[in-house]
Amino acid sequence: MDDLDRELGPHGPVEDYNDFSDDNVSKGGTNLKRPNVNPAMCKETPRETGFHRSTRICLEQIREAVLHHKWQEAAEYMACYPQLLEDTCLPPAQQNKELLWRISTNILHHHPNSTMEDYNNIYERMKHSGVRHHLMICLEHSFHLLLHGQNEDAKWQLSSAESWRHGKESAAQHQRAELISAYRSLLDYVIWCDKRFSNSDNYFDSDNQGMHDHFRQASLNLKEILKKPGVWDPFILSYVDMLELYDDHEEALKVLNDYAYNNNFPPNPNAHVYLYQYLKRHDASEKNLMRVLKILHVLVPSHELMLDYSTLLLNSENKTDIQKALGIILDMLDFTCWRTNMDVWKCLKTVIQRLEIQEDWENVVCEKMALREDWWPALHFTSFHASKDLEENPELWKVKASLAKVLCPKQALKYTADRVTNGKRT
Amino acid sequence: MDYKFPEQLFPSFYSCGPPDPVPRYCARSWGSYDRVRPQAGSGPNSSWTFTSRHQPRGESWRHVESVPVPLLSPRNAFVWPLKPPNPEDFTKHMENFYVDHCFHAFGCMSELLGENFDFNGNSKSRYRKDSVLMGRVNNDLHRLDFKVCQQSYKWTRMKRYAGLMSDVLHEVPPQLLGSLLHEELTDQTDRLLFPEANTGGALAFIPFKQSDSQHGCLLYPGNPGLDLLTFHQVALQHQRGGSSSVDTSRSSFSFQLKGSIRQISCSSLLTQCCVGVRSNYFCGVWRFSETNEPRLLQVVKTAEVSTCINVSPHVLGEVLVASESGAVKLWTVGRGMQKVRTEESNLYFNAKSPWRWCEFSAHPRVMLYADRTGAELTDIRVNPVSGHTLFRISSASECRSGERLILSKYLGDAHSFHHLITTQYSAYIMDERFPCVPMLKWDHMMESPPMSCHIVAGSASSGSEERTTKVLLGSNVSQEITMLQYSGGRAEACSSRGHPQALLRPRESLKHLPAQIPHRLETATDRLSSPAAGLTCIQKKSGDDDCLCVLQLTTAGDIFYQILEPEQPNADTCKPPAAEDEHLHQPAATEPLQPASSETKTAKQLPPEPDVSETSSDEDVVGPTQNVMTQRVVPETPERNPTPSMDSEDSEFEPQSRFLKRLALQVVVNDDPELDRGSDLDTSVTESGNVAEDVAQDAVEPNNVQETVNVLSRTVASPVKLSSTTLVTWKHWLQKLMHISSDKKKRSDSSPYFKIQTEGLLQLPDECASEKEHVRSLRRDLKSCMSRRSLLVHGDTSTPFRTPDVVPLPSQVDTEAWTDRLNQRLTASWQGEEAWRSWWKEELGMNREEKMHALRRKRRRQKEAKRAAGDRLKLTGSFTSSVSYQSGLDDFSDLSGWSSATSQSAWSDWEGRQVLSQVLSQEEDVLEYAAPSTVQNDTPTPTPTATPQRLRDGRGDRQTPSKLNTFSVPQKQTQTSQRRNKRSADGYLSSLFAQQDNPSQHDCYYLDEEITTNPPPVASTSSQFRNSQSVPMGSFRADLSQDFFSASGSSQSQFISQSSQSRWGSSQASQPKKKKSRMGF
Repeated sequence: MDDLDRELGPHGPVEDYNDFSDDNVSKGGTNLKRPNVNPAMCKETPRETGFHRSTRICLEQIREAVLHHKWQEAAEYMACYPQLLEDTCLPPAQQNKELLWRISTNILHHHPNSTMEDYNNIYERMKHSGVRHHLMICLEHSFHLLLHGQNEDAKWQLSSAESWRHGKESAAQHQRAELISAYRSLLDYVIWCDKRFSNSDNYFDSDNQGMHDHFRQASLNLKEILKKPGVWDPFILSYVDMLELYDDHEEALKVLNDYAYNNNFPPNPNAHVYLYQYLKRHDASEKNLMRVLKILHVLVPSHELMLDYSTLLLNSENKTDIQKALGIILDMLDFTCWRTNMDVWKCLKTVIQRLEIQEDWENVVCEKMALREDWWPALHFTSFHASKDLEENPELWKVKASLAKVLCPKQALKYTADRVTNGKRT
Repeated sequence: MDYKFPEQLFPSFYSCGPPDPVPRYCARSWGSYDRVRPQAGSGPNSSWTFTSRHQPRGESWRHVESVPVPLLSPRNAFVWPLKPPNPEDFTKHMENFYVDHCFHAFGCMSELLGENFDFNGNSKSRYRKDSVLMGRVNNDLHRLDFKVCQQSYKWTRMKRYAGLMSDVLHEVPPQLLGSLLHEELTDQTDRLLFPEANTGGALAFIPFKQSDSQHGCLLYPGNPGLDLLTFHQVALQHQRGGSSSVDTSRSSFSFQLKGSIRQISCSSLLTQCCVGVRSNYFCGVWRFSETNEPRLLQVVKTAEVSTCINVSPHVLGEVLVASESGAVKLWTVGRGMQKVRTEESNLYFNAKSPWRWCEFSAHPRVMLYADRTGAELTDIRVNPVSGHTLFRISSASECRSGERLILSKYLGDAHSFHHLITTQYSAYIMDERFPCVPMLKWDHMMESPPMSCHIVAGSASSGSEERTTKVLLGSNVSQEITMLQYSGGRAEACSSRGHPQALLRPRESLKHLPAQIPHRLETATDRLSSPAAGLTCIQKKSGDDDCLCVLQLTTAGDIFYQILEPEQPNADTCKPPAAEDEHLHQPAATEPLQPASSETKTAKQLPPEPDVSETSSDEDVVGPTQNVMTQRVVPETPERNPTPSMDSEDSEFEPQSRFLKRLALQVVVNDDPELDRGSDLDTSVTESGNVAEDVAQDAVEPNNVQETVNVLSRTVASPVKLSSTTLVTWKHWLQKLMHISSDKKKRSDSSPYFKIQTEGLLQLPDECASEKEHVRSLRRDLKSCMSRRSLLVHGDTSTPFRTPDVVPLPSQVDTEAWTDRLNQRLTASWQGEEAWRSWWKEELGMNREEKMHALRRKRRRQKEAKRAAGDRLKLTGSFTSSVSYQSGLDDFSDLSGWSSATSQSAWSDWEGRQVLSQVLSQEEDVLEYAAPSTVQNDTPTPTPTATPQRLRDGRGDRQTPSKLNTFSVPQKQTQTSQRRNKRSADGYLSSLFAQQDNPSQHDCYYLDEEITTNPPPVASTSSQFRNSQSVPMGSFRADLSQDFFSASGSSQSQFISQSSQSRWGSSQASQPKKKKSRMGF
């Protein structure tokens, strides 16, 4: 019927994941090499009424104005665009409404004269204009209030949205409902924190019943959302914080372990960091700590905590642990961001010094360097690096120069001060 | 600090399934904050703050000039057609091939058969007795050189030969050639629409020093084939508030390559720069520094088309090369290549694409391997290689179905763990340390997919303010550049800042430049619209005086730059720099200024480019004049790009009225002199309709003016004027372009038309000889006459002109003299089918009933009219029916007297006139709203039935005046000029009105169905006409013209039903308005 239909309307289920979108086929593109181009908001269709055409043109103008940051112009066009909603022969009105909402808030975000009143107006009106985007707009509205410091209003918004019910929920709606309750709990946690600070002497008085209520309300939803695969850093931090106060270590550990090691969750480095920090706070054994860091090392060999890991390994008396520490430090130095870091190079120096006590230390170093010998010199020990290090950090140059021989004994390196002065002269 | 990972990420759900099948519109991330994350404040009590992932506030950058400026003077270039070839045109291409390369097409067989044919016709050297004479065929063949009319020249002989030999002559069977050509054309279309070979971009800028980023080397392809690698030292000169330009006067080096340059990748380590260049089958690596000239290190030839080259940012001389075979090789320059990964198929699903991409990552031995379905991080130290997913088209990154990875880029300069991934809809920032989940996602809203990008690293919270990292995305076909900003990624999670900003496009620059002559405009437009092929940026970061210079390469080899400055908070008050600049450079504008006078010290000397003489240029080429410069106002007022709906208002109106006139002439059904006059009147009525519209538009004017003032006051403030240097640069650029293109045109003149000598055909044989003699004698006569002071009359001439033999016209047939039935019928049939039909009806007595009805109705009406004359209050009722109560009596030529009788009765209502005028004044406001209905007519359809529809639309819009206002803003601009001359016409037309004392002429076409349904009429149109001269009664006149319009259409019998319907519609539509007025009354 109309392009907007096709663009916005509900498609039938896509039969094959491998295939290209309908747009490509409808264009008559027989070639499958070309991905679907022209993702424009609005496309022309052969059969459109004058009304559709003018709304399409209007939308194009809005897009142009917005992309060129002409907010006033966009706002003026926007004043006419809602006419689109009066059209009865556009079935996916829901999508149009959402688009309408997005464009109008977008303009409000950037328009110099937008007021809080305008925002509330738009949010409230659009919220009640459709079922499918109700929760999303509620969430965004509360975000807006939160960003403007109106935490209580935001909490009120969230709780009213939480109690909103509408028949059958789609998966996306369900997710949004969960997010809404999670954010509401987060705000409960914020209040809980405030109350904790305000009477920090004795939490478990009967006066503090309100604080415990907040904990109860918050924990329920937070626990729920932590079961779903996702990234829940703020939620898990607040949940664990509350559990710690109530001494529920078992639950806290369970939640953190689950967050870190459940395979359904994305490989979030922070999950391991939180677990490590928790264990460290509660004086877990070094073995436990190392276990956590070992897994983190596999995931993110460049992580800051690898310095801690190598210190832990050095503390142990085991021979192989020192070799492991060498491997970890060398791994870190592979990365661009650690290349000029003094701490890591110093750590490497300690490791080498500790190793030198051992008998076949040279073999160990050779073994670790075998994979790196063709590119490490170019990465760390060229004359350019020497000149730069000398210029910026002479101490680093000293450490590096002393290590260069040890790490690459077979190669003639140009990482010398002498060479540099030559280079400078030429 | 890159090693820090954000302590808290924004919450999100994670699922690694296929993308959501429900398609969503593009702007799905607009206007939302996406997620927020809490930050505990330092204080104990309720100092929590929240941060959102999409932050509306970002740095705002504005253009110094409103057009991009060409960096180099235009060179010869091959401009690809903008429209892709149609694969169905392959026969045309085959034809060209056979004509242009006949030896390749038919060489063998013609050699064999040649002896048997004699093409020399009448030559004596006939070497075989039995050879076929082909002299006449030869003539036909000569004609092939021309474009000839296919109709008048039949190739019968050729066709016979073709039938005889077409299956043996061809070297390549036509079927095979055709299918191959079709395939090739399809490929070409795809390449034009989606030039994936150019992914990455063939333009690069390398600053020589880290500290001084303004001086550096610009690498770009030269020559028409884009096969000349040029190293050009450039420097950005910028002063805030002053002029900014890119200095290209320094030396350049160039290398001729064996294929067009597809991608340039470069990296610099301290002072040494390494450049990798990719063409389809060759990859080369150059090395240079500020002091050392560029030096070619090594070139490799690849068996398959190479799709990607990337120079290592970690180790100088390491290059990754990917090819369509699916293999990625690590090329250590000087030591050879090592295959690091091969994939026969696509990574995650079958996207049927051989395109591969590879990038380095934060680890020198971990590389990113990407195809259209996703990207993997591959550790190349272990064997067999294993990868883990960094990004895939899936619901984890909220992709849409059909979304494909277009470009991936390692953002080492900005953040050592970040990768930019773009698809045709979105741009993602991925963190290597947390694969699969995008740190950030934008909808870039570009028309065609971004194929090249440049990153401008922000500074991580140095000093007071943190600078955002800017991502510039460039698309090829549509030349768009979009700037995205983000911050974070270290201690804090990534968040996008501000709104995506579209930068200027070369193809749109002509709008802002002084007008060009059409054919030059065409050449310039074609040249400027050639797709982009690369993007880079020069950054100046010295304290407050920041600026970005964005350079863009097009496939025609032109480079355009635009300079952006951060917007100052007090930017509105300060004068735009260009304005001052204009004063400063006023004298400079008169001097010729070379856009790029580069002394090229090439390895292989370039041919000296044609020097355009500046003296000749001034009159030759349209350049900007002072006048135009002062005229230049707002770059993008709606006036400049009127929307089609406004166009139609302009264009549709005139043809329509012309159409009306033509119809009016067709209405004439018999020779009745009275009717003839009537049709004249009709045309004047339509013109009055025109005027009526005009008047109505005048009535709306106050609104328009208000609106325009608003629009102008707003837009004048923000954008910047063009500086004179820019205008001069553009002027010279366009001049040179014209020179080049005119040279080219001379050469590539297409085959001439086949012409017949016509001189002898149209000349009288003896006339020619006596002509001079004749003239001489005439002169003599003239002289003698002058001496005698008498007139030269025909009789005086000594050799009088021969009067041509006048063919006597056959005498006029006097139809009155022939009164028998046959003759009457013949006379009627001369007047058209309609008259003929009505004659038969008359003859057969088919319309007797109707006649009787009509008579009765007429009498009833007369009675009612008399009654109504007594009752003034009912007068207004006539509004509804006054225009429609008359019956369409066009068939009854003998009854035409009736209507005049009615009009007489109407004249008796003369007293009611004052009441009417009162009513009308009340209606004024309504009319004002009704008038802009013309603005709404989107589809100018010349059929009469469409007009009432249009009118109704206009009424419907009355409820939403806001729309009208905004739409009428630009319309007003176009009208102002028209109105001036229309006003003068106004007086003339009003005088025409005075003649319209007998409006019955158009009334008489109405059909009688109307009368039965409408309330009995009282007043007639004539009284309204009298009123209309005093009040702005735009819509009344418009109504009349509409009605007339449909009525005139009804002269065609097949229109009767339609027109009656449509008119019915119109009268219905006008009813509510009139009712309203009656209530007011």
